[in-house]
Amino acid sequence: MSAELGIIAQQFVNGITLGGMYALLALGYTLVYGILLMINFAHAEMFMFGAYVGLFTLQGLSRIAFFTSSGPALLLLYVLTFLIAMIATGILGVVIERFAYRPLRHAPRLAPLISAIGVSLFLQNAALLWISSRSLPFPVLFEVRTFRIGGASISSMQILIIVTTIVLMLVLDSFVSRTRLGKSMRATSQDRDTAGLMGIDINRVIALTFFIGPALGAAAGIFSGMYYGNIKYNMGFIPGIKAFTAAVVGGIGNLRGAMLGGFLIGLLESLAAAYISTGYKDVIAFVVLIIVLIFKPGGLLGESVAEKV
Amino acid sequence: MSVAKSKRLFAVIAMLVVLAMTVTACGGNGDADGGDGDTADLVEVKIGVSSPFTGDVAALGTGIRNGAQLAIEEAAPELEEMGIKLSMLAVDDAADPKTGVNAANQMVSDSAVVGIVAHLNSGVSIPTSAVYNEAGVVQVSPASTNPALTLQGFENVFRVCTIDTVQGSFAAEYAYDELGFTSVAVIDDSTPYGEGLAAEFAAAFEAKGGTVTSKDKVQVKDQDFTALVTKIRADSPDLIYFGGMYTEAALVSKQSKEAGFEGPTMGGDGLYTQQFVDIAGAANAEGDFSTSIGLPLVEQPKGQEFTDMFEATFPGQTIEAYDTYAYDATMVVVEAIKAVAADLGVEEVTSAAGKQAIIEAVAATNMQGVTGIVSFDENGDTTNKAVTPYVVRDGAWVPYTN
Repeated sequence: MSAELGIIAQQFVNGITLGGMYALLALGYTLVYGILLMINFAHAEMFMFGAYVGLFTLQGLSRIAFFTSSGPALLLLYVLTFLIAMIATGILGVVIERFAYRPLRHAPRLAPLISAIGVSLFLQNAALLWISSRSLPFPVLFEVRTFRIGGASISSMQILIIVTTIVLMLVLDSFVSRTRLGKSMRATSQDRDTAGLMGIDINRVIALTFFIGPALGAAAGIFSGMYYGNIKYNMGFIPGIKAFTAAVVGGIGNLRGAMLGGFLIGLLESLAAAYISTGYKDVIAFVVLIIVLIFKPGGLLGESVAEKV
Repeated sequence: MSVAKSKRLFAVIAMLVVLAMTVTACGGNGDADGGDGDTADLVEVKIGVSSPFTGDVAALGTGIRNGAQLAIEEAAPELEEMGIKLSMLAVDDAADPKTGVNAANQMVSDSAVVGIVAHLNSGVSIPTSAVYNEAGVVQVSPASTNPALTLQGFENVFRVCTIDTVQGSFAAEYAYDELGFTSVAVIDDSTPYGEGLAAEFAAAFEAKGGTVTSKDKVQVKDQDFTALVTKIRADSPDLIYFGGMYTEAALVSKQSKEAGFEGPTMGGDGLYTQQFVDIAGAANAEGDFSTSIGLPLVEQPKGQEFTDMFEATFPGQTIEAYDTYAYDATMVVVEAIKAVAADLGVEEVTSAAGKQAIIEAVAATNMQGVTGIVSFDENGDTTNKAVTPYVVRDGAWVPYTN
């Protein structure tokens, strides 16, 4: 492999790692939009909250000598960290829905949007005041190895992120398309009132949506902490915007679209930073968004739905 | 309950409330009278201190507040004998120009504030200096190093730290001559501080005969530099020079080493904090360089004295890059207050004429500070131009020696 090809391959690895995190976060936006037609601006804070729960769980559990004694025990430690953070963040998502969005479900569409912004500000400031205003280092307890393939190198961390992201997405995809609960989610998304008349417990489906989205966001948050080595109270803001963009590019409301959009934005950012300009990488990502929306207003995989009259 | 009864109850409660308030007020007065016999006669004078106490660079910002607090606590007894009650008004600028201007307005609107020790970031110091100039209050920056700050024609703006031109060219010459690096990739964080430093470094490095393989800009709060460091690795320079703060620099150091880049990361005083090592990870940061203004604390004339004082007042905290500069900056203002109080009288210190006299007294400063001899040139820049190179060894910054 020539050096130039190696670098392009390397940028793909960088972009897919980044894109995986965006995609996980984008799923949360698209799930909620699909069901409630609402943009959950507090979703970026799920990323942050998940990362903090992950950090504290990791710190707490790693004090128990057993977990750091052997390879499998360490794996168990990480599995537990992810599970606890994802469940805690999922519960937070459900609580937010119950108290900040459900009372506004029949209000004009701007009201829950503003409520979401309020929740986002509240959570960010709560983390700022109660946890820390500074970046907290996120420890990595296993040795990160780097594998060289041609001119490109991929670290065990990147492999972990990419593989776990893809596994989580496959699980979600088959959950939504194969299971009974998934079917009721799809039905609710299609027509909430009719689904209710058919005996689907709408509140349960919505609560479930608000559990799954934040749980995936939490996983992305922990990955971000592990990958970049630190977390802070406002860490969700920029990835949140990028992930929202990814959801829109892919076609908001469409799960596979959000995954595609996430990887696309990650790749674009990496390639733009490498070949055009680091300073303008965000601009380039958003220019692509605008171009996509001009030609495909519904997003890449979005369906062109006729305006309901 | 009848109406009459409830009215009576209300009256009783109202009386009790009034009584309680009177008693409290008496207590308050009693304290003031009893504590110090002559507190009432003291003229209240404040020194405004502003730097980021929250946010990403809070480590350096709270250090500035600590340094200023030490100076004020040390000077307060002497000033009290002269009839001045000196205190600190500390306001957070969150490393943000808008918040900084608000903080500046808040401080100068208090007429007791006769001097300002602020800010950390050049990007904050430059817009706020106009506020201080308008208000006729002296500003002594402990840490803002962008040359433009003192070139605005404001006679009230001073700094006790070396400017980027000195630091950037020192770093470039050191990297080329002493460390033997001949090629460098330059990155800056698009702030006045980072841009200024990186530009000075690149120019001086090329003037020495070195090669600048690439120049890139990143944004503050970016986290992912993998694409950038991959590109840099392909050019295989000897060194990455980062103009900016430790939050981004630490990630550049970490991600460049993880991408297989073998050269160190180097930067200015914005990297010189333990947080840099913590975020990058000790293994990645090992061998990274920074330059910081002034001499290392142990070599500073009153370094040991300062360390003892610091540890007594802030047990468990570490001395950050600018603590001694904030201490000296505050002492410069304190000395000016003393001089003006002696010349014009204590009452005049907080008047407009007094504040003007303080600006003139600061300009004429010549004192032995913790960081060395403190005096200012015609722009208001310090004449103390020492810069020290540091390197990360065993997970901590230490002065670099061959």
